[in-house]
Amino acid sequence: MKMPRRWRRRVRTGLLWAIAALYVISIPWYRTAGGVPSVIGGLPDWVAVALGCYAVVAVLNAIAWLVAEIPERDEDDTS
Amino acid sequence: MSFGMLGLLGLGVYLTVLVGVAEVARRARRDASPGDHFLAGRELGVFVLFLTLYATAYSGNSLLGYPGEAYRRGFSWIMATGFMMSIIVAFHLLVPRLRPVAVSRGFVTPGDWVRYRFGSESGGRALVMGVAVLMTAALANFLFAQLKAMGELAAQVTGGIVPYELGIVILAGMVLFYETLGGMRAVAWTDAAQALLMMVGLATLMAWLLGSTGGVGALTESIRVVRPEAVRVPDARECLNWASTIVLLGLASVVYPQAIQRVYAASSARTLRRSLALMTFMPLTTTLVVTLIGLAAIPRFANLGAVEADRVLPLLLGEWATAGPLFAVAAVLVFLGALAAIMSTADSVLLSLGSQVAGDLLGRSRDDASTTALGKRIAGAVMVTMAGLAMIARDITLWGLIELKMELLIQCVPAFLIALHWRGLRARPAFAGLVVGAVLVVAGVVFDLKRVGGLHVGVIGLALNVAIGLIGSVLDRGGRAEYGQLGELGAEPGSLHDS
Repeated sequence: MKMPRRWRRRVRTGLLWAIAALYVISIPWYRTAGGVPSVIGGLPDWVAVALGCYAVVAVLNAIAWLVAEIPERDEDDTS
Repeated sequence: MSFGMLGLLGLGVYLTVLVGVAEVARRARRDASPGDHFLAGRELGVFVLFLTLYATAYSGNSLLGYPGEAYRRGFSWIMATGFMMSIIVAFHLLVPRLRPVAVSRGFVTPGDWVRYRFGSESGGRALVMGVAVLMTAALANFLFAQLKAMGELAAQVTGGIVPYELGIVILAGMVLFYETLGGMRAVAWTDAAQALLMMVGLATLMAWLLGSTGGVGALTESIRVVRPEAVRVPDARECLNWASTIVLLGLASVVYPQAIQRVYAASSARTLRRSLALMTFMPLTTTLVVTLIGLAAIPRFANLGAVEADRVLPLLLGEWATAGPLFAVAAVLVFLGALAAIMSTADSVLLSLGSQVAGDLLGRSRDDASTTALGKRIAGAVMVTMAGLAMIARDITLWGLIELKMELLIQCVPAFLIALHWRGLRARPAFAGLVVGAVLVVAGVVFDLKRVGGLHVGVIGLALNVAIGLIGSVLDRGGRAEYGQLGELGAEPGSLHDS
């Protein structure tokens, strides 16, 4: 079933905001600089958080592209 | 058979395949128009479009420069996975608005958009030229980096049988040959083959590295022992640089001329959406892998210099090849995969450069077959010049070249992203902003000031550039009066700009 145009726009906008938030979280600006990290999945914890954020960004961005509307031609093109 | 001879044999087979692909592409061409040569007749499907986007995005910079930077910086280079993904995110700002106009108006070069949007305004011609000059400079820089990487890899894969300089001559000649013969079709098809080779090569190398180091946990521990600061939480300066690099790469890569031309070349909007949806996952399979490769080099090679660090991938492959005959064959495959990635980027850059200089800088018609011929000659001349430079200037870090290229390119962002979303942007202030931003970047190079507190000079230049463009456009009444007289642009629907 095809999603209505308005909903597609809302979903895409929401996804792009979520992606922006994930980018902010991915950078460890809120951690103590020079701190010794614990290890998660074999990686330093701040690296694991960044990587987790980027993995989720990939999924959300793929969905955002699949629901994006790209007209085939310009609206005033009569050719 | 020695590793060098095995590499030479592999290289010979690979180049022969490329000649075959170029000939098939030549036979597939429909006419000699710029649209057919530079955009493959605008009929690239999902599979080829995805692979050509992939092979173009992941270049010598990614495969040699990124492991080198991971080696130098440590785990904070995980930022590379984020900023490569930010490119596909930032495309949301460009593609949905540019693509329909480009298809309707038959755009071939990025400058066609700027000419269409600003061309008849006061200052419009200057903006078209300014954007074209910056994009050409960035592309020439990009080509230089690819040639440098090609020479390094050719020397490594053949164990020095083909020296650095000869490697550049042979491989640059091959790229020029198939690009001239088959245009975008040859470039896209060879890109597809090269992308597959690159994926297989990197996956194989990663499996070996993780196997030989005992997994990610053991790798982290061994890095912590030899260089503890590479594992610790980065400081505020590094965090600011992380954010700045995401902005720099995300926005600048969106206005890559060769990327914009692939947006034009897609067979349909649906094809483009699907290709971009696939592309968003590629940083996890490529950038992350090359980052881990660079990190794996930290405990293996102590104290490599700044330029030497760009050779960590060849050094690792050399070590791998000594483990046995099968490993040597696998190492040659990875080498060829990396070489393929570099050549696929070089060919795209070269194709874009030729079309851009002929169409945007020299103002030749986008419908005329003579523009195609001129574009080919320009591509040849640029290739020869850059190859000569790459032979002389070997000691420059690849990441340094990437940053410079991006800092110049990002100054073109307002002419695309703001112009697509805001009808009020005027040519004169946009041009003034572009000049100020570019001058700041050049001044940064001259005075050796790359970053201010972690923030790239180019990003600061972009902030000034945008401010000048926005404030100037609000104040530029003369430009607005002329804008109102424009027939073609005045007839644009509100959906293209704000209304």
